[in-house]
Amino acid sequence: MFAEFGYGILVVSFLVAMYSLIAAVYGAIEKSAAMVESSRRAMLLTFPLLSLSAAALVYLLVNNHFEVAFVYEVTSRSMPTYLKVTAWWGGQAGSLLFWAWLLAAFTSAVTIRKWERDIEFLPWVIVVNSITLLFFLGMVVFYENPFTRFWLVGGSVEPHMFAPLNATLFAAPDGNGLNPLLRHPGMVIHPPMLYLGFVAYVIPYSFAMAALITGRTDDRWIRLTRRWSLWAWLFLSFGLVLGGRWAYDVLGWGGYWGWDPVEIAAFMPWLTGTAFLHSVMIQEKRGLFKHWNMILVILTYSLVIFGTFLTRSGVLSSVHAFANSPIGPFFMAFVSLTLVVSIALVIWRWPILQGETEMNSMLSREALFLLNNLLFMSVLVVCFWGVVSPLASELFTNQKVTLGPPFYERATAPIFAALMFLMGVAPLSAWGHSTIQTLGRAIWKSALAALVLTVILFITYTQNYIALIGFFLIALVLLVTLQEFWRAARARQRAQSENFFTALTRLMGRNRRRYGGYIIHISMMLMAIGILGIEIFQTETQGALAQGEQLNIEGYTVEYRELASWPDEGEGVNYTRAVVDVYENGIYLGELTPRIDYYFDSQQNMTIPGNRSTLKDDLYVLLVDWEPVSNAGATFKIYVNPLVNWMWIGSLLFFIGVIFAAWPDRDPAEEPVRAARKAHQSSAAD
Amino acid sequence: MTEEIINKKRGVPIWAQVIIWAALAGLLLLVGFGLRRAQNPMAEIGKPVPDFELEYYPGYEYNGVKKMKLSDLRGKIVVVNIWASWCKPCEQEAPDLEETWQLYKDGGDVVLLGVDYVDTPKGAEGYLTKFDISFPNAPDLKSNISSILNRQMGVPETYFIDREGILRHVKVGPFTSVKEITSIIQSIE
Repeated sequence: MFAEFGYGILVVSFLVAMYSLIAAVYGAIEKSAAMVESSRRAMLLTFPLLSLSAAALVYLLVNNHFEVAFVYEVTSRSMPTYLKVTAWWGGQAGSLLFWAWLLAAFTSAVTIRKWERDIEFLPWVIVVNSITLLFFLGMVVFYENPFTRFWLVGGSVEPHMFAPLNATLFAAPDGNGLNPLLRHPGMVIHPPMLYLGFVAYVIPYSFAMAALITGRTDDRWIRLTRRWSLWAWLFLSFGLVLGGRWAYDVLGWGGYWGWDPVEIAAFMPWLTGTAFLHSVMIQEKRGLFKHWNMILVILTYSLVIFGTFLTRSGVLSSVHAFANSPIGPFFMAFVSLTLVVSIALVIWRWPILQGETEMNSMLSREALFLLNNLLFMSVLVVCFWGVVSPLASELFTNQKVTLGPPFYERATAPIFAALMFLMGVAPLSAWGHSTIQTLGRAIWKSALAALVLTVILFITYTQNYIALIGFFLIALVLLVTLQEFWRAARARQRAQSENFFTALTRLMGRNRRRYGGYIIHISMMLMAIGILGIEIFQTETQGALAQGEQLNIEGYTVEYRELASWPDEGEGVNYTRAVVDVYENGIYLGELTPRIDYYFDSQQNMTIPGNRSTLKDDLYVLLVDWEPVSNAGATFKIYVNPLVNWMWIGSLLFFIGVIFAAWPDRDPAEEPVRAARKAHQSSAAD
Repeated sequence: MTEEIINKKRGVPIWAQVIIWAALAGLLLLVGFGLRRAQNPMAEIGKPVPDFELEYYPGYEYNGVKKMKLSDLRGKIVVVNIWASWCKPCEQEAPDLEETWQLYKDGGDVVLLGVDYVDTPKGAEGYLTKFDISFPNAPDLKSNISSILNRQMGVPETYFIDREGILRHVKVGPFTSVKEITSIIQSIE
């Protein structure tokens, strides 16, 4: 009943989206406001419809309807209810429906707004959104239907949506169960956050397309989508960081990022999205980079689609990859359509996207922002090559040569260093014009202080030159950024005769995006401290210990005390938990309890580290092996990850910064300076 | 507007357009090719299997050799079984495979090769000891053998290659009996 209902609603949603597309195109071409309005209403209908369909699926998941193939694949009786709900996005078919549902939500949110000033964009925004929605709905309706059920036909069980002749419904007594690695609170929010980020980028893209099609290539589309892209970026970043945290907590390899193709697929749109956040400011302030912004938006959206395609079609192998799936060719067609149409539109409209002025100083802020964009693009090129090269090598040598983390680390580290240096310099440069002298005057104090700090670190902490360069750049950016807060707040304090904190808060409140951006810069530097710590200073040891024996690492002593193994039938898990005592230089610090959980339904192990986390370092203890009967001996792997906590502290600050910058406030119609210049230009041209 | 401003509004030069479209076509072709490969469910039955090399785990050998190529086994029926120590269904079939090996090993006409996919040396050692596996076993370094056999599904998977080096049969999932294995071997004879 629920399965037919859910599938029926999916089909109806598909038809409604189809109607919306046709009505929007017709309305735009025939200039029929009534048709456009009708298409807008149809679009608004998709979200409640898909919510019903999703509710049907969640009902089936929660109530153990194992006759439904998807429910059988991702749930089992022993799973708690909240995990059964989140199993919705634990498999291909469900996650595609989830994606479509989010897309409908975003599309509704954007079509529900007031459109008076931008009514010519509306039909084309609907067109782009409805095509995307149709594509995702098409996949669930025709290829990966989450409501397919098992039928007993003759002697065999076959999956079909509707009953074949002489068939009876077949329900397995229990399901497969969700992959235990995914049974983690981080996994409950990591994929939705990533999907939110992915899906949200369709909005800026649809406005960019609308601007190209209508030929209205002023800044309106940028202003309308600026906040969308900031939120999309927030969700995407959040998704990436949560994924890292999950890997650190669950995967048990002492790391957070493995340069896996799926990670890179999510990282690539983040790179172009970050570049866009910077270059968009230049279009707003100076009227430059109109082509470039258009390209970045298109690239970001295309990378979202392309990355999803690569990982879901089985083209690339990855720990994240979904099983081989029939959606490949269909997905490929959509990727090709997106790229061809976008590129054709940009080429067609290229002439009317010229900048309003020209760049006249290589050290001006716009020039440095351009450099920033080029650096982000360089990282993108490295990542893209890393992802595509296995395909190329397979084509030419018949062997899949996958590029590993060392390739990415070596290729991107200098680029990231250059980006950090820019982060230190660019905030000090002026729009329009800067010289070496003005920049030098602004930066020398911070640079000197950072240098002194680096020398101190050289004497007291490390002689590793890569780490020292890193710490110098981190210190430089932190000092420059804090100095910017200080300088501006002091200036305001004097001008308005307020006290320092009032001046600071009012200053930040009046220019959220700028100071939000600075907070993000600071947070990035904190994260960089953590990354340097774990990448350069991580140490590890491994050993088999009898009870009472010890392992020593970096001043820590880990002593094996005991081990217990017991099944929890209700949860369907067998826990094996070791207790170790931790000492630092002879002082007792407490105990850690690394575990291995064995899941009966999926017959998989999950390694959960015992972790002692401080600002100085993490002591990360893994239980590797044990003697099953006597429990007398056990093997442990121990990592010391210096400074890694700063990464998570940095991420928290990062979210504060983005939310501060993205929080809605009233927009001025146009930057006063630029409006004045445009007025001046047009009067001169008259 | 002055003429000067209009002149500045240039389009994309033809040569740039050609490069852009060619690059896009190249990329799509490359990906399309990868997709076609990925869509192929298995190595092609009825075609020769491309050669691959393997180096056996410590303590394993075949005819006194530690390191060999598939082509060295031309003239024999080769059964390549892909397994992993973390793979539970593999454990079901492991005793049957070993029993099959005991039937054929003295004849010298049929070779069983175990190939361990994505595993730790320690895990592999434990698994091989646990099931007393005596037929030659090697790790699938860089997943090279998996990629040559065009392996797509999970483990276990077993490939039956005839005396001419042609792939004749692929079994996905565990065997349920020794007889199942021997009857496939007999059908290739």
